[in-house]
Amino acid sequence: MARIRVKYFGKIRELLGVKIEEYDIEEGATLADLLLHYVPHRHKDKSEAWKEMIFRRVKGEMLVDRDEMPILKNYLILIDGKSSDLKQKLKDGDEIAILPPPGGG
Amino acid sequence: MKISHNLDDIETLIEELKRLADEVGAITIFIGVVRGKRNDEKVLRLEYEAYEELASKVAEKIIEDAKTKYGIIDACIQHRIGTVKVGGDVMYVLVASKHRAEAFQALSEIVERIKQELPIWKKEVTEKGAYWVENI
Repeated sequence: MARIRVKYFGKIRELLGVKIEEYDIEEGATLADLLLHYVPHRHKDKSEAWKEMIFRRVKGEMLVDRDEMPILKNYLILIDGKSSDLKQKLKDGDEIAILPPPGGG
Repeated sequence: MKISHNLDDIETLIEELKRLADEVGAITIFIGVVRGKRNDEKVLRLEYEAYEELASKVAEKIIEDAKTKYGIIDACIQHRIGTVKVGGDVMYVLVASKHRAEAFQALSEIVERIKQELPIWKKEVTEKGAYWVENI
């Protein structure tokens, strides 16, 4: 079991109603597992809106790449400040930041 | 670089840049202001939030890149977070250089990169609703 921390910003923070939360995840769980299972499971009433907001979909179906990984919209996801792909395994103490497209200025 | 609920006095920022070097011959300034209209809707306010630790790093990189590319002497970026009313100043970008040409070019590029890259988010609250604005 590993404990990770997730930070949300902008419209994602507003959707989930939380800025920071912690998850206890199984060893070997990936970033995709976090986004597809752990977060939607905790925020069941918002799980569809969550997936709609961050993943590319066509006619309600989630688009996947050659590795069967979902494709993100223009979101940047950082693990400990570094850009990460969805296959990356998470480890104890990781801090994940989920960043919507910028809107400053 | 500063991300805060308040911007510094712009005259002070200008003086700080002038004092950096005897070679400063031009300072260009961009001031972002809250517009009072979104299409036909009256805007009430903007609400900003930032990933502050990352935003500072990104802004420093943008300034360093501009120094390398345009040979400017230095630049300063300040951006508000929190609620900003219509007519309020949201962002200051100042560029100091030897000559005006590179100061104008660098200013334009820095502002564009801030809008595309800085992890700052904006909700526009109008009389009809609220909208997250994305710069893409």
